[in-house]
Amino acid sequence: MTVIAAVPTSGPGASEQFEQLYRSSAADVYAYVASLLRDRSAAEDVTALAFERAFRRRALFDVRRGTPRSWLFAIARNAALDELRRRRRSGALLHDVADTTSELEDLDPDLADRRLLVREGLAELAAGDREVILLKFVGRLSNAELARVLRCSESNAGTRLHRAIERLREVCGVTQ
Amino acid sequence: MSRNELTAAEREELDALDRILAREPVSERHLELAALVDSVRAGAPRMDPAFAARLDAQVAERAARRRPRAVTPHLARPGLRRIALASGGLVAAAVAFTIVISSGVLNGSRHTPSVESGLGAARTVPRTPASAAPATSKRSVGPTIAAPTAGAGAGASNFAASPALHGAARLVHKDSTLTLATSPATMQSVANRIVAATERTGGVVQSSNVKIAGAASHASFTLAVPSGHLNRLIATLSALASVRALNQSTNDITDSYNQEQARLTDNAATRSALLAQLATAATAAQQTSLQKQLNRLEARIAAEHREIDRLANQGHTATLAVGVVAGASAAKHAASAGPFTTAFNRALHALEAILAIALVALAIVLPFALSALALWWGVTSVRQRARERAMRTA
Repeated sequence: MTVIAAVPTSGPGASEQFEQLYRSSAADVYAYVASLLRDRSAAEDVTALAFERAFRRRALFDVRRGTPRSWLFAIARNAALDELRRRRRSGALLHDVADTTSELEDLDPDLADRRLLVREGLAELAAGDREVILLKFVGRLSNAELARVLRCSESNAGTRLHRAIERLREVCGVTQ
Repeated sequence: MSRNELTAAEREELDALDRILAREPVSERHLELAALVDSVRAGAPRMDPAFAARLDAQVAERAARRRPRAVTPHLARPGLRRIALASGGLVAAAVAFTIVISSGVLNGSRHTPSVESGLGAARTVPRTPASAAPATSKRSVGPTIAAPTAGAGAGASNFAASPALHGAARLVHKDSTLTLATSPATMQSVANRIVAATERTGGVVQSSNVKIAGAASHASFTLAVPSGHLNRLIATLSALASVRALNQSTNDITDSYNQEQARLTDNAATRSALLAQLATAATAAQQTSLQKQLNRLEARIAAEHREIDRLANQGHTATLAVGVVAGASAAKHAASAGPFTTAFNRALHALEAILAIALVALAIVLPFALSALALWWGVTSVRQRARERAMRTA
């Protein structure tokens, strides 16, 4: 990964912090965006756009309003939703995210079945539930960060997350 | 139960989820959740290495373009920037206040009313209670202007007349009466300032009478001052105490002056003729008679010279009678008659004007700013709702 030199301000604006944020979040941001858009090419564009916006607005980051990670995911989320809106307006067709089924072939059959089941279950979930799970599981955001990204209270974010997990269990036929 | 409230078991599961994501050990009953997390994460799309390299290059390029800004690292921090802005604002306000105060002090110390040189022309001094007093070409008593709360800049109408007598020039004698009111305690101070101000303007105190006796205290002065400085002196004295009355009159003495000049010219011509006759007189009796005529004529000429000088002096010198009476209501004004107080009051007036301008500007700008704010808020809300709608329909 390339070292990023940024204007040294507080939070992600500082060069070291932004570099650290970029290194630790790039893959997760991409995974979240790609899962949301279900289009690898669009996900790449949106991920690049999200980091571009984050870098441009890094001086506006206010540490009192959340962590750098939640700030970055909020930017990525808005960019992804704007892309969804654009595609809905233009009626563009969805491309599929790269098929990773081949990766499952090398795994233990039970584990491969389970992962496939979860992937399909995730795809069946409502977009809102899928997003909450992706932000939590892939983005590894705390409930406070989740609330910041989803623009809701922390307790509401916790409730939404728990319900989304329950629905995922339901569609996957998994019992607790 | 509120829809946002979770049961203890649910909260425990969310805590376990945080531990799983932090790669910390969890109890056996949360292993299923750990497996679920693992499956979701394992199935998440991964970045293509080519795209990762492109992203690295793109971010590195953006960073390289912005790098020169790093030479001011301290100002780039929002907190320090705010402090710097606040400090700059304070300094600017202090500078503006100093300028206003300084200009006020300068104006207060100068305090020079305009004096015009046009003969017989009338010009009013701004903010002067007596400015409405009409000029009179003949000796007349001007209207008495009651001024119970005269300000520091109170003065008098200016009927300046140059004593020059060439062409259409007029010679005007000016006579004024000024009545001031001050507290008994400041009577002596005001009297001293009247004398000092008169001397500063090149005038003289022809007579004075100051009596300090409590409520019966009073002072009176007869001042002679160069006509061109009369208005400045009146303005200065008006700032010393509260002006009770101001009476100004003018007397055009040009005709008298010209008549005396004409007589003098005639007599000078007669004298020349008599001297010529005297030089050619044949008899002693003729010489004696001519000499007597010459003597009488020279006496008249001397008297005419004195009258011309007196008239010219009247035109050049104005008289100002100043009376100072005791008045409790004037104590405050008398105590604040100092030049700094005057300057401070002027500065306050300037600040009031600035504040008024700022309020007007705010009244103009505020509706636009509020409209822009409302528009921005509306656009942001609509866009956010559209995003959420896009999420729901994805």
